[in-house]
Amino acid sequence: MPKNLMRVKEEEQINVQEKPLSKNALEGVRVIDLSWIVAGPQCTRLLADFGAEVIKVENEAALDYCRNILPIDADGSPNRSGLFNTLNRNKKSVTLNVMHPTGMEKLKELISISDVIVENFSSRVLEKWGLSYEDQKKIRPDIIYCSMSGFGHSGRDRDYVTWGPTAQALSGLTFMSGLPGEESAGWGFSYMDHTGGFYGALAILMALKHRNSTGKGQHLDLSQVEAGIGMTGTSILDYTVNSRPFRREGMPPGNTAPDKKIAPHNSYRCRGKDRWCVITVTNEEEWYALSKAINNPLWINDKKFSTMALRYENQDELDQHIETWTINRTPHEVMHHLQSFGVPAGAIQTPRERIEEDPQLKERDFLPTIKHGELGDTKVEAMPMKMSETPWELKSASPLLSEHSAEIYMDLLGTSGEDFASFIEQGIA
Amino acid sequence: MTALNGLLVVELCGERGQYMGKLMGDMGARVVKLEPLQGSPERNIGPFKDDKPDPNSSLYFWARNTSKESLTVDLESPQGIALVKKLLKKADVFLEDRKPGFLESLGLGYEVLKKTNKKLVMTSLTAFGQDGPYRDYKSNDLVALAMGGIMHSCGYDDVPDSPPIRPSGGHGDFISAHYGLIGTMSALFYRDFTGVGQYLDVSAHEACSSTTEASIPTYLFLNKEVFRQTGRHQGATPTPKTLCKTLDGKYIIVFQLFNNLNSWLSLVKWMSEKGMAEDLEDEKYKDMARHITSNTKDSDHAFEVVRNFILNHTADEIYRGAQELKYPWGIVRSPEENLDDPHFLDDREMFEDIPHTEFGNEVTYRYAGRPYRFKGTPWNAFRSPLVGEHTAYILKQDLEYSEQEIKNLRLTGIISTK
Repeated sequence: MPKNLMRVKEEEQINVQEKPLSKNALEGVRVIDLSWIVAGPQCTRLLADFGAEVIKVENEAALDYCRNILPIDADGSPNRSGLFNTLNRNKKSVTLNVMHPTGMEKLKELISISDVIVENFSSRVLEKWGLSYEDQKKIRPDIIYCSMSGFGHSGRDRDYVTWGPTAQALSGLTFMSGLPGEESAGWGFSYMDHTGGFYGALAILMALKHRNSTGKGQHLDLSQVEAGIGMTGTSILDYTVNSRPFRREGMPPGNTAPDKKIAPHNSYRCRGKDRWCVITVTNEEEWYALSKAINNPLWINDKKFSTMALRYENQDELDQHIETWTINRTPHEVMHHLQSFGVPAGAIQTPRERIEEDPQLKERDFLPTIKHGELGDTKVEAMPMKMSETPWELKSASPLLSEHSAEIYMDLLGTSGEDFASFIEQGIA
Repeated sequence: MTALNGLLVVELCGERGQYMGKLMGDMGARVVKLEPLQGSPERNIGPFKDDKPDPNSSLYFWARNTSKESLTVDLESPQGIALVKKLLKKADVFLEDRKPGFLESLGLGYEVLKKTNKKLVMTSLTAFGQDGPYRDYKSNDLVALAMGGIMHSCGYDDVPDSPPIRPSGGHGDFISAHYGLIGTMSALFYRDFTGVGQYLDVSAHEACSSTTEASIPTYLFLNKEVFRQTGRHQGATPTPKTLCKTLDGKYIIVFQLFNNLNSWLSLVKWMSEKGMAEDLEDEKYKDMARHITSNTKDSDHAFEVVRNFILNHTADEIYRGAQELKYPWGIVRSPEENLDDPHFLDDREMFEDIPHTEFGNEVTYRYAGRPYRFKGTPWNAFRSPLVGEHTAYILKQDLEYSEQEIKNLRLTGIISTK
């Protein structure tokens, strides 16, 4: 065999051997997921997508609220929510009544063989269950306990409650979104449930890394409001360093950029009902490109637009001119045309466009399909990344309620079939 | 010991990616930020300390680049690239957010780097990813929020002709960086067991697109496009307004009025004591709270009565009073209004006074502090680096250049030192 070919053969063999070794990043990590609604499930979804075994512990008397919203039809099934499906794919569902002593015993058995516990109840619930971090540590000394409450587990307001919109309002994020002189536009969804979940996952991953080096677990005490405050860092400094509050005339800035003092930087009306695009020009090169792209209209040579500082100063007038060009084009026509000249511009895309049309999202497989126990083939949003060694994997859709109870009780905890049946009968499982 | 003790992170990031390095540095990783000789462009973003533009005075930069070292090096010169390559040989993580193909053009692509450092985790956080038809499109925070669908959900339903609104503060960048770092951390965890690094291709467009909550499921499952509503969730069907004005000219968000019978009864009692309950003691409202219904004519009326009650009280009175009754209502605060909330200020010690000795030995400034509280490992942020502050140190200590070599590199314009 020629030497070159032999080498190829060897490489092939190596590849074959390596394949079984390739696995998920978090394989072998077991997570007890006591969380519900959006923030907690977002956190554990990220871990599950990377291959952690996430066991969602559910109670039929207090179902995850998300199981009952966005139904396809109103037949009362807890297994037909689209939002629940995307937030809970790749997880297992076990029903377990913690109010029953045997249920609590089983939960403790689960904790003893797990690495991470996640919950997003209000701040005293686990303590009341006898499962404070100190209690958990007795069951599993190196446990990583991530609590995700609104205000954290200490402090005078620890018993206050938040939903995503509350955390957005208190942290300042709602106020920062809007047109000057109007009420807050705020966020059209629970951004802090997503971001609270991101910080939960980040904290857990960092704590796992620390445990790898030291063997030590710890309590991660997250506050949804604090995670939001963290993202207002620039405004906080403007106040503590310059004594300038964000609450002032002319703020919030709509879609303009007072921090960068650049223009154009705004949304523009396009052809069609309530259709919009954004256009930004960040330097002279892009300004020249924009001029060229829109065929050098007369106004563009006006002295008042001749420098970035002047354009910023006269941006209202500038924006009006630009809108006379965008108004006759669709958002995507504007985007493709300006991008072809090197101007950062984008369509304000609707959900339908992202789902059905966006060729970039299609090419990158943003909405993979997975079969769900009741809903059939479902699409869910992908992890926004490709990884060369341990790509995220879509292994299963969201679990039906108690879909994995038998597996968890019998295979994992060694409960006999007889006992399991009696657990169901007594309302424990 | 810090959570990320012992990790060496090299960062070539601007607006989109810089938060990844900050979050790692704050938790104890050593983060070296590569900058051009005159400093990174994001140092030119305001506001500035005392409103005096200067690369070392950008408060935007301060907030997003704590706990880093600055290495200023000319990446257009072969010597500069060689120097960085040497550093990357020792690095655990390389974070970059340049346009696709740029690193390869310098000879710093992953395929090259892994030959001399197989444990390297390299994360490329780009606008649209490394491939696909939009790969070379230009983007930034505003474009990402537009295309990713976030703006579609945010804005007004009662301000005529108003556009969708991008929540200000750089959230397209935040979402992208958060996802990029989550992926990076998972790769580091895997590396602990295998000794093998990897390459991550993270897309800001996809990160934003997957951070729009119910928008996508609503279209997939109900075939409806959600529409934006003032100050509250987008809807597939209209929902009651949640912003309520207070006596002191602020706003409270009010929702879930009928989600809990006890809360409802206590609220009516409170309003009644103030003589403002009107007809809310009526059984029909109790029934609504019992059955968690809303959006009827009666609930609209109840909402109006509550709205009037709120208008006659300060934001703090309503916020604290309602929270005591287990209503999850909150004040629409401006960011600085958290600085004197005793829960965050005193009890949680959320804000951190970080030394800025460049302005005097005793000078500190108060920062929005830790976004999470690790009970077993410290959060240790220090101020962002001055331009080139650590160049000489890194060259000497990490790369073992002699004083003479460092001087030569400086004189030939390959590096700058502070």
